[in-house]
Amino acid sequence: MGFLIWLEESPLGIFIRESLWGYPIVLSSHAVGMATVMGVVIALNLRVLGYAKNISILAFDKLFIIGWVGFLINLVSGLILFCNTPTTYFFQGSFQLKIGSIVVGGILMKVVMNGVRSGAGEGLTKLYSAACIACWFVAMITGRLMAYL
Amino acid sequence: MDYETYEPLATWLEATWLGEQMRNIFWLFPMMETIHFIGLTFLFGSLLVIDVRVLGYGRFINMNAALKFIPVAIIAFAVNLLTGIAFLCANPFRYFPNIAFQWKMGLIVIAGLNALWFWFGEHKELQALADGEDAEFRAKVIAFISIAIWIAVIVFGRMIPYVEY
Repeated sequence: MGFLIWLEESPLGIFIRESLWGYPIVLSSHAVGMATVMGVVIALNLRVLGYAKNISILAFDKLFIIGWVGFLINLVSGLILFCNTPTTYFFQGSFQLKIGSIVVGGILMKVVMNGVRSGAGEGLTKLYSAACIACWFVAMITGRLMAYL
Repeated sequence: MDYETYEPLATWLEATWLGEQMRNIFWLFPMMETIHFIGLTFLFGSLLVIDVRVLGYGRFINMNAALKFIPVAIIAFAVNLLTGIAFLCANPFRYFPNIAFQWKMGLIVIAGLNALWFWFGEHKELQALADGEDAEFRAKVIAFISIAIWIAVIVFGRMIPYVEY
């Protein structure tokens, strides 16, 4: 709790609460990063689930890098937004669920990619793939709900 | 935009059944927002696949397979058009005079024209592209414009609540 209060009172926390354009600009970056990382996650998993089969999954590696760029944008912008009111966010159920599903969704994406590269059981990989999309959807839904709950 | 210009349309939209439901059912607006976000990621992800291939960064993505993401993009756009109309009906007098909303709509029209240029001008030639083969410069320009405009659309959309007077 001490750390959260320290964060809230840090120059970054003050900046994001008080500057006129700071919050909307960081929030917009968060939306663009979200479109990028989730766009790549969805396109990649659609391919794994059997859509657009002619794309070799290895050629998708390039796209995967773009997904990482989107993820980094959102990690940085998300941390800045968190400094807005960390003492509230940290204990918010929708925030906790959001972070949890991003962690699980990220791990599942890695599991899916490993499964595809090693040619592991296709059925199982598809199952992980569907679960991966579901996790990222939950992350988005709970992220939106943070503004309402 | 002048109040007189949009007033009749806004009055009509506000009185529609959809507008009424959007204002009266408390969970409907957030739900539509979430669907709008999900649609946005499907749209942007599909465009990324196509544009990354055309730009040459992902030139080993099979072109014909990449083009299969066009229907995904169109369906996602339709979902976002419908959810977007729902927001508009909920509170048209809030959106029409909003500068970020106006820019967003203008950019979407340009993005649409750009997509038509892609479809009628480049689509056939691109289909003949072998894996690893570079697309024409013209096609790359279209792909670049597409990514740039849609990023701007997302930014302006996100800005809508912050530029109200």
